[in-house]
Amino acid sequence: MSEQQDYEPRVVAFLCKWCSSAGSDLAGVSRIQYPANATPITVPCTGAISPMYILSAFNKGADGVLVSGCHIGDCHYLEGNYLARRKMYLIMKLLEFIGVEQNRFRMSWVSAAEGAKFAQVITDFVGDLQQLGPQDKLKRAENK
Amino acid sequence: MIKLQDIRDTARDMLAKGEARAVIGYRRGSRGMLAEPAFLTRPEEADELVWDPTCFHNLSLYLVHDRKHLAHARKTAGAPVAVIAKGCDARSIVVLLQEHYFQREDVYIIGVSCEGTGVVDERKLAGHLNGAQAISAAFDGDDFVFTTAEGEKRLPAREVMADRCLECCSPFPKEHNLAFGEDKTGRQLEAPFAALDRFEAQGAGERWDNWARHFDRCIRCFACRSVCPMCYCDECVVDSITFPVTTATTAEEKASRIRWIERSAARSENITYLMTRAMHLAGRCTDCGECDRACPVNVPIRLLNNKMEKEAREQFGFEPGASIGGPSLVASFLDNDPGNFIR
Ligand code: SF4
Ligand code: SF4
Ligand code: SF4
Repeated sequence: MSEQQDYEPRVVAFLCKWCSSAGSDLAGVSRIQYPANATPITVPCTGAISPMYILSAFNKGADGVLVSGCHIGDCHYLEGNYLARRKMYLIMKLLEFIGVEQNRFRMSWVSAAEGAKFAQVITDFVGDLQQLGPQDKLKRAENK
Repeated sequence: MIKLQDIRDTARDMLAKGEARAVIGYRRGSRGMLAEPAFLTRPEEADELVWDPTCFHNLSLYLVHDRKHLAHARKTAGAPVAVIAKGCDARSIVVLLQEHYFQREDVYIIGVSCEGTGVVDERKLAGHLNGAQAISAAFDGDDFVFTTAEGEKRLPAREVMADRCLECCSPFPKEHNLAFGEDKTGRQLEAPFAALDRFEAQGAGERWDNWARHFDRCIRCFACRSVCPMCYCDECVVDSITFPVTTATTAEEKASRIRWIERSAARSENITYLMTRAMHLAGRCTDCGECDRACPVNVPIRLLNNKMEKEAREQFGFEPGASIGGPSLVASFLDNDPGNFIR
């Protein structure tokens, strides 16, 4: 099917401004090649991400959602990423529970110095999503 | 065994002495065998109180209503409200106290132990009565006794009990001012999360097929939200009241508002609602079962809440409603929380 071949996964990436967002900039200025499928949304801290953001991204048509923040111990607000780790674990389990493919939600720790890691995370994620095809379980009908 | 007279005497006494502003309990309802919530303010009303296997309502909901009413009327509480609470209901009160919804002295908890049984599941019971209507229900040891037009029907409680009661290991209201019935903490009629485990044993594809059907059925009546003592938000994220749409609202204004979820009962919106609700109740839901019971189209809401409860217990060692001073699930963390799912 040509539609399947043309399929380009849409990734919504919630990036912490103190690390992963800067990491993505570094990947850019270092001219590292990686797929352009991610729409970055910079957040002040992964701890500020409500599970509602994740559900809403899927609802509005994301094929995959990435949450990326600072390594444990490096949070600008000291404990935001610890809180995020718990919340994201729970929403991940809930998505899995209703039968959403595990590979549609991903979380990573990418520091401001890890441009190459950022590129790798996106490359891997897009590759996995390519295998899965379009996400239409949680998608609003008008966005289909 | 709980003596109804003791409950009635306590209520009468408290009201007569002015020790309670009101007593919230159960009385005979107008629909068949079912009990209904009762709000007593005069001592002579105490004899209306009942205690039987249809007392499933989580009355802590009305403590929340009372609070909202007081705030609205700008009144102060005065004497406490006394409330009859089963094990799960008392844990709901603990969560409300944990969240400072009201103070401990504002509520007088008349605990009732479910001892060896629990409350009846009407859907299970229907399968045993062959179309007959029960007009009353009573506890009797390990049995429930129902009266129907055809006479008395005695059934082992286990066969018609709500799943959550079968799986409940703490039927005794630990937090109480006064408690009736035997403390059977640790009893195990069925393993915790048994129903959830049966559902989870299916593959992801089957789970989705099931959930898709359930989510399709939801009519967004919000009965599940209305009946839940933990869903006390003045403004729910799924239907905004801060920005009401009036005739003066322009199309532009409407378009620029954040709408996380549409109000229409479409599958995608229902999923977002029910999943968001499950997240908001993680670590707060005490499995009182009211949302699941209230749903007119039998969406198995309990499974979602149970999934969160199970993860919380197994991964974070967290028990909802365990102690008033304890931390909340999502506003706390441990250094060794699972993190190997993160790349
Ligand atoms: S979510 Fe349902 S089971 Fe949990 S406390 Fe609320 S009404 Fe009770
Ligand atoms: S679903 Fe969430 S926002 Fe809505 S009332 Fe319940 S807890 Fe509050
Ligand atoms: S899940 Fe059931 S009770 Fe809740 S809104 Fe949907 S139909 Fe109503």
